[in-house]
Amino acid sequence: MAFSSTAAATAAAAFASGRRSAACRPSSQSSSSFLGASFPRVAAVRRCAASGAPARRAAAVTVRAQAASAGGKKSVLIVNTNGGGHAVIGFYFAKELLAAGHDVTVLTVGEEGSDKMKKPPFSRFSELTSAGAKTVWGDPADVGAAVSGASFDVVLDNNGKDLDAVKPVADWAKAAGVGQFLFVSSAGIYTTSDEPPHVEGDAVKESAGHVGVEKYIAGEFGNWSSFRPQYMIGSGNNKDCEEWFFDRIVRKRPVPIPGSGMQVTNIAHVRDLASMLALAVESPGAAAGKIFNSVCDRAVTFYGLVKMCAAAAGIDAEIVHYDPAAVGVDAKKAFPFRNMHFYAEPRAAKEVLGWTSTTNLPEDLKERFAEYASSGRGEKEMSFDLDDKILSAVGVPVAVAA
Amino acid sequence: MAATASLKSSLLLPCPLSDFSGAALSISSQTRRRSWRPRGARIQVSAAADSKNILVMGGTRFIGIFLSRLLVKEGHKVTLFTRGKAPITQQLPGESDAEYAEFSSKVLHLKGDRQDFDFVKTSLAAKGFDVVYDINGREAVEVAPILDALPNLEQYIYCSSAGVYLKSDLLPHFETDAVDPKSRHKGKLETESLLESRDVNWTSIRPVYIYGPLNYNPVEEWFFHRLKAARPIPVPGAGNQITQLGHVKDLATAFGLVLGNPKASKQVFNISGAKYVTFDGLARACAKAGGFPEPEIVHYNPKDFDFGKKKAFPFRDQHFFASIEKATKELGCTPEYGLVDGLTDSYNLDFGRGTFRKEADFTTDDMILGKKLVSV
Repeated sequence: MAFSSTAAATAAAAFASGRRSAACRPSSQSSSSFLGASFPRVAAVRRCAASGAPARRAAAVTVRAQAASAGGKKSVLIVNTNGGGHAVIGFYFAKELLAAGHDVTVLTVGEEGSDKMKKPPFSRFSELTSAGAKTVWGDPADVGAAVSGASFDVVLDNNGKDLDAVKPVADWAKAAGVGQFLFVSSAGIYTTSDEPPHVEGDAVKESAGHVGVEKYIAGEFGNWSSFRPQYMIGSGNNKDCEEWFFDRIVRKRPVPIPGSGMQVTNIAHVRDLASMLALAVESPGAAAGKIFNSVCDRAVTFYGLVKMCAAAAGIDAEIVHYDPAAVGVDAKKAFPFRNMHFYAEPRAAKEVLGWTSTTNLPEDLKERFAEYASSGRGEKEMSFDLDDKILSAVGVPVAVAA
Repeated sequence: MAATASLKSSLLLPCPLSDFSGAALSISSQTRRRSWRPRGARIQVSAAADSKNILVMGGTRFIGIFLSRLLVKEGHKVTLFTRGKAPITQQLPGESDAEYAEFSSKVLHLKGDRQDFDFVKTSLAAKGFDVVYDINGREAVEVAPILDALPNLEQYIYCSSAGVYLKSDLLPHFETDAVDPKSRHKGKLETESLLESRDVNWTSIRPVYIYGPLNYNPVEEWFFHRLKAARPIPVPGAGNQITQLGHVKDLATAFGLVLGNPKASKQVFNISGAKYVTFDGLARACAKAGGFPEPEIVHYNPKDFDFGKKKAFPFRDQHFFASIEKATKELGCTPEYGLVDGLTDSYNLDFGRGTFRKEADFTTDDMILGKKLVSV
């Protein structure tokens, strides 16, 4: 359901109501070895969550708000990209922090009046400001000016992909005495392997820009963490994900899948990334010096994803397999995900932060389809040039919609 | 020739044909040494640290060979219930004479057929075991007489299978996932249900594919035969199907960690390797393990062939893997062996010494390769 919150408390409630709620069952399965003693009530809620049942979100949020107001309140700066797949992370993270009672400033790269700001999540920033966040615009090369000299306990760089972009932010943060520096990196930096999944500590491509950033901040900050996401869904996303599948399914077009369709990927609801980041803010000691795969805890096959999108839409989908090389299309343009196994698991977050994954793709896609359907996108004229090229190469007719 | 007959038969307990009549043994040492130490795992010292009277159903073929050694080393009184078709004990490759003598002199045997439910009930009732490790049980009916015979049983530890999980597009399998009542392994499921329904402290372990020295399921052996013969490795489909292997020694360790462990009470645990592997990746890993050059892999569509009753590939043609995070978190159980290390251990102690269970059979390979040649 779309966000419609105004005050922080209602934000928390709206946030909570969209989720499955399950009774938080205390069980002998709970493990508390890594939970800090400093937030016993928060620890109790997390222990429940660790038992495998998703914690009741309202309860968790309430406890955190108490923790924040009890002296754990922090001022957090989110330096946010102005477009692309990661843009929505800052939006959800801000909401999570606000609901917990922290002070939040979002510095979006560029200008407030730019065309990019007309797209979600930026078009919905009133949801942040009405909950008490400050939103500013500026150049990450001069964060100090953009935030008018304000100081922060925590900084998240959710913008840069290499050291050129992040170094000025990191240098400013260090000089300004920021206690905790967080970076949104990418699970794309892992080297390919015969043995999935990618786990924290596995080899990465040394030439990757994100790797350079991780090394730099590790050297500069006593307390730093890096978060490596894959793909995300969620209301307010700046980049298409599930829409690619819905566009074809609602128009009764075949869905072209490269290769066997057995390739696995990881698609998380962005709320899982926000909760992971928030846990790092609340447990800086546990998070310090750590890398976290910011993904959900299930892989999905391409084939399975199509089935789930079709089920969410209530419309049968026809899958057509093709070989991108044989057809002569660039797989990166023809399909929204990497044409290979690309699967990381969030083991560090579970082990170190007591984080649990709440993503439930079949259910979450229903919610996504509801928003897709009400947006009118399904009725828009769209061209499917690459699809048509693929389908004609494979010899599959496309019925012209009446 | 796979199993070598024990040369130390004089040290074996007398095993008359029908009854168990071994002398009661004094358990000399309470030391908790294990022959392989899990790296990084917290060693669980169970609340009841004293020696248990343990019955292992099976124990002479694969998992039980390693598990029984571990239990004997920990000072427990261990009895193996088998028909006696395989030698009760065999010296393992790499096991010293002294170690083997120590083990074989202590382990006990109860000869019988577990399908003879009356015999099971009366013989077990007469002994009064504290703990049962059921390594070879397939159907619930086999388990009922054991439970009937041992009303004061402290724990029933069952070797189930991750094969019970319902096939899914969302993986890995977690212990809470849906199971498939129609699967080939439904007997395991029915056994788990029986255990749950009876008032017994049970633990169920669900391994994925098990590998290691003495494996009687031709998992790694299948690859080693082809690598040794310098043959291409035929892999169905794209070869990117993801599976998971767990070393038998790590599985035995996990079985040991649940003994007397309150965190294991009425719980199911997936036990396997920490990482998964693609079919193509497994072929490459086996090559590395045996010091073979990188293999030639040939992909084929299984639908193009009728292999009859023969199995053309040792794994189910689908993604199949399970998360072991519950065991890691609750039991402190982390696998010692990575895939290549574990396959190397298997190769060095088994196939690489010239031993294997099944002769090489390249019939289906030749069908696949022949058709490939023709189509070119």
